[in-house]
Amino acid sequence: MQGGGIREAVATVPIRFWLAFATLFVGLVLGWLTRILARRVLRRIGVPGAIEGTAFERTARDFGTSTVDILAAIAGYFVFGIALFAAVAVAEIEYVAQFWNAVAGFLPQLFFAVIVLIVGVLLGDKVELVVSERFRGVKLPQVGVLPLMAKYSVFYLAALIALGQVGVATGALIVLLAAYVFALVFLGGIAFRHLLSAGAVGTYLLLHQPYTIGDEIRVGDVRGIVQEMDLFVTHVEADGEEYVFPNSKVFAEGFVRFRS
Amino acid sequence: MATLRDSLGDLVDDVDGLFLFSPSAAYYERFADVDVDRVVVADDNDVNAESFVELPLGFDNVRDRIKFGVEGAMDNGFVAEGDTVACAVSMFDGGGDADSLVRVRVDESMRSGIYDLFTDSRAEPGVIRDVFEVAIDLGKKGQKGKPVGALFVVGDAGKVMNKSRPLSYNPFEKSHVHVGDPIVNVMLKEFSRLDGAFVVSDSGKIVSAYRYLEPSAEGVDIPKGLGARHMAGGAITRDTNAIAIVLSESDGMVRAFKGGDLVLEIDPEEY
Repeated sequence: MQGGGIREAVATVPIRFWLAFATLFVGLVLGWLTRILARRVLRRIGVPGAIEGTAFERTARDFGTSTVDILAAIAGYFVFGIALFAAVAVAEIEYVAQFWNAVAGFLPQLFFAVIVLIVGVLLGDKVELVVSERFRGVKLPQVGVLPLMAKYSVFYLAALIALGQVGVATGALIVLLAAYVFALVFLGGIAFRHLLSAGAVGTYLLLHQPYTIGDEIRVGDVRGIVQEMDLFVTHVEADGEEYVFPNSKVFAEGFVRFRS
Repeated sequence: MATLRDSLGDLVDDVDGLFLFSPSAAYYERFADVDVDRVVVADDNDVNAESFVELPLGFDNVRDRIKFGVEGAMDNGFVAEGDTVACAVSMFDGGGDADSLVRVRVDESMRSGIYDLFTDSRAEPGVIRDVFEVAIDLGKKGQKGKPVGALFVVGDAGKVMNKSRPLSYNPFEKSHVHVGDPIVNVMLKEFSRLDGAFVVSDSGKIVSAYRYLEPSAEGVDIPKGLGARHMAGGAITRDTNAIAIVLSESDGMVRAFKGGDLVLEIDPEEY
């Protein structure tokens, strides 16, 4: 009586366990699908190209995987994890459920924290690449500190968000961040104020071009021919001497244009 | 029995310098133990050579390339007049390592002004290179298949503008395009059917098209047979500190003038 034995075995296991197994199986399939889908979506929106050359991606490559695969895997495990909890809930295992409920509330946060960290690390690396690319033409050793600063700023922000996500007290870190941003804005404002004002006037001058290259103008005591004008400065040449005025000076003192 | 190696060895006998033109890192390292100074002439100092001359254009003409390198090395003090140098250059298929060795005596007659044209002009070297590239490109393709002529006056734009007058409205008025911007090639190609000169500033901004140059042509000595465009271009470089890059409509050559003299001649077809 082979058939009867199986039926008996099936009957002894409560129906809710079978439901739990089904849930688990569906979760497994869904998680797998999510993983594939996430990988495709990430590829399609050009993530591999955008993060190429970052340290994180290179490390991932060393381990025979890639950032896209890691992200997709995390998304897949997340879905599977949800299914696992659903299965536990369906199976109504009391003592287990009590423990898992606490974890279940925490898990999505942990998941987002991990995602934020990965994205933060990638973004930081990318920012470093972009900034150092921008300053590549500047052959000055000290400039090397700027990309690093940009990178660690992004890292810091990402870590802050991730820690906040999992509920670690980040009050002190936020104070530090505020001080950092304040210093950046305030000191940057002081350091760049001349450039900023010259640039603001420069936009007006370039848009309206009250004078242009070749015009003869007088700024202050200098009368000469405009040789060059850009966002920040105007070059005026007189008797073989080239004066470089910040645009703010041109605006503050006014200029005279000579018509010939 | 004398081998070929012995017979040709006198090419490199007591040379004072070795010029490597666009060497690969491996090729450069091969000469690390040689007891003469190495001078690298390339568009970028990839090999971190101590003596380096930047090559703004990949001169197809090897004479021009060597002249440029020697002149640059003289200006930088890597070699002095009377030195003899060996130049390892690649004459065919530009990519590979050197395929020819040229023994050159450094003297003032080597000074053709090509190096001076790029590094000692008012305009930035990169701007001059960009204008050259535009002119060469224009010479290669022409306008809708027909050969065109063009005249670019680069640098000292303020003075040039005062030594010229507009032939019509300036299409570049209140625009902020620079040579080297990708759109510029197309624009210049279209505008090249207009007569007159393009004026480019020191930093590469295209100040005006359609300019009629009014320099005094006194004492300008350019080769006979060249037309009004070359004459105007040559003459404006005498009157101002600009340089002129001229694309000839009749023979398709790109010529550069500085200080009223013809400095460089390039055939676009060879690029």
